[in-house]
Amino acid sequence: MNKIIVSDDVIKSVNLDDSIDLKVVEKSESFTVSSIKIKVLKDTSLKIVYDSKKESKLDIFISLMSNVSLNLDEVRFGVKNKIQYKYYLEDNSYLDVLKVYDVDSIREVDIVNLNGFNSKIDYTFKTVSKNDEKYDIMIYHNKGNTVSNIVNHGVNIENGTLTFNVTGLVDKGSKDCIINQKNQIVNLTCNRCNINPNLIIDENEVSASHSAHIGKLDDDSLFYLTSRGIDYNEAVHLLIKGFLLSKTDSDDLVKIIDKYWR
Amino acid sequence: MQTLKIENLTVQIEDKVVLKDFNLTINKGEIHAIMGPNGAGKSTLSKVIMGDFRYKILSGKMYYNGKLLNDMPVCDRALLGIFLAMQMPLEIEGVSNADFLRTALHNKQKDEFNLMKFIKDLDKTVAKLQMDKQMIHRSINSGFSGGERKKNEILQMHILKPSLVLLDEIDSGLDIDSLKVVSENILDYYQEYNPGMLLITHYQKLLNYIKPTHVHIMIDGKIVKSGDYKLVSEIEKNGYENFKNFNSTCIMKENEKNE
Repeated sequence: MNKIIVSDDVIKSVNLDDSIDLKVVEKSESFTVSSIKIKVLKDTSLKIVYDSKKESKLDIFISLMSNVSLNLDEVRFGVKNKIQYKYYLEDNSYLDVLKVYDVDSIREVDIVNLNGFNSKIDYTFKTVSKNDEKYDIMIYHNKGNTVSNIVNHGVNIENGTLTFNVTGLVDKGSKDCIINQKNQIVNLTCNRCNINPNLIIDENEVSASHSAHIGKLDDDSLFYLTSRGIDYNEAVHLLIKGFLLSKTDSDDLVKIIDKYWR
Repeated sequence: MQTLKIENLTVQIEDKVVLKDFNLTINKGEIHAIMGPNGAGKSTLSKVIMGDFRYKILSGKMYYNGKLLNDMPVCDRALLGIFLAMQMPLEIEGVSNADFLRTALHNKQKDEFNLMKFIKDLDKTVAKLQMDKQMIHRSINSGFSGGERKKNEILQMHILKPSLVLLDEIDSGLDIDSLKVVSENILDYYQEYNPGMLLITHYQKLLNYIKPTHVHIMIDGKIVKSGDYKLVSEIEKNGYENFKNFNSTCIMKENEKNE
C-alpha cells in the first residue's frame, strides 16, 4: 500500500507507486505553512500517518483525476494542529476517506470540491477528543449527479470540547445530487459539544438528509450489558467500541479505544 | 439453599411509588408466576431485583443467598446468578452477540473460561433454539424480529447458566411455533439446572408449557392473592376485576389461609 508518514509538518517517509504524484512545499519565509499536494492518477489506496510533537500547521491538497478512485486511510496523533484539507474530484472519480484521530487540540478545515459529474465521496471521521477540537467540513456539489456521504463520530472525554460544523452546498443546476450527513458525539464530560449541520441548496432536484446527535451513553444499554455480569467499565468499553467502530474495522481505532477504555 | 427473599419492599420511580410493601420468597427449584393487569408493577419488580438504578428503594430489603441486594451493583447481582430476560430486549449497534456473550461468560468464569467449549455450547444452543447461525455475529438484537430477540435472551440464559431466572413477558411477540421452541428450551434448562424462576406473563399459554409451582396476582404494586396453578384458570375465566378491591386486611387473611 502507498504510505506517507508526516511528523510535525515535515514528511519523514514516503513509499509511493506511480499511481500517486506527490509535491511538497516546505514552509519558508514566503510560505509560512507547509503544504502537501497529492495527485491521484490511477485507482489506488493510500495511508497517511501524522504525528506531531509540537504545534504544527499544514495544508493538504488531494486531487483525483477523472475515472479514478482512492481509498484514503489517515491516522493522526499529536498536539496542537492547524490543518486545512482541500479535495478536488473530477468526473466519475470516487474518494473513500477514513480519518482516525487521537490528538490533543486541533482546528481543521476540510473543503471538498465535487467538481466532476458523477463524482462521489464517502467520508468517515472518528475522534476521541480530550482537549479542544473543532472541525469545519464543507462539501461543494459543483456538478450534477455528485454524491457525498459524511459520517462524523466523536467521543468527548477528560477536558474535551468538540465541534462539528458540517455544510453541504449545491449550486443551481447541479441536479440529482445526493447529500447525506450523520453526526454524532458521545459526550462523557460536562463540557459543551456542538454540531451544526447545514444544507445550503439552490436546486430542487436534490436528495438530502442530515442528522446531529449529542448525548451520553444510553442508560438502558448499560443496564442491559451489566445485567449479564459485565462490569460497568467493560460495558462502557463495549459501547464505545460499538459506536466508534461502526462502518470501519480500523486497527488504529481499536488501539486508540483500548488505550482509553481498557 | 439458593433463595430470593424480598421483605416489605417499597420502591419509587420519579414521583410514583410502584411497589408497595412487597413480599416474595423464591426458593431453588420453585417456579413462580406473577400475573396482573398492565401497570401493576410486574416488570418493575423484575428490574428492581436486577438492580435498575432508576428505581429508588424507599424501604424494605432484598436478599439472594443471604446477601443483601439493595445497593449491590447490577453486574454483581448477575455474577451471583440472577438473570433477567427482558420484555423488550435492546438493540445495541456495533456490539456483536458473540463478543458480548464471550465477555460476559469470561467475567463470570475468569480463568476457567474455555473458548472452545463456549463456541461449542453456543452452536448447540443456537441450533436448539432454531436461530440463524449468522445472528451470533451480528450486533446485539440488530434487525432481529420480536421473536428472535426473545430467543436471544434464552440463548444468553443457556450460556450464562444463572441460578435465578426472571422472565419478563418472554411470551410476548412470539408466534405459536416460536413460543413452543422458547418454552421447551426454558423447560430443558429448568430440568437440567433446577433454578428458581419468576415468570411474568399475561397469558395462560406459556404456563401450559411451564407449570408454575406458585401463582401470584399483582395489582397496584402488591401481591393481592397467591395460590397454585388453579389460580391461572380463575384469572382466565374472570379476569382481574374481582381482585382489584382487595384491601390489605383481605390480603393478610388470604395469605394466612394459604399458609
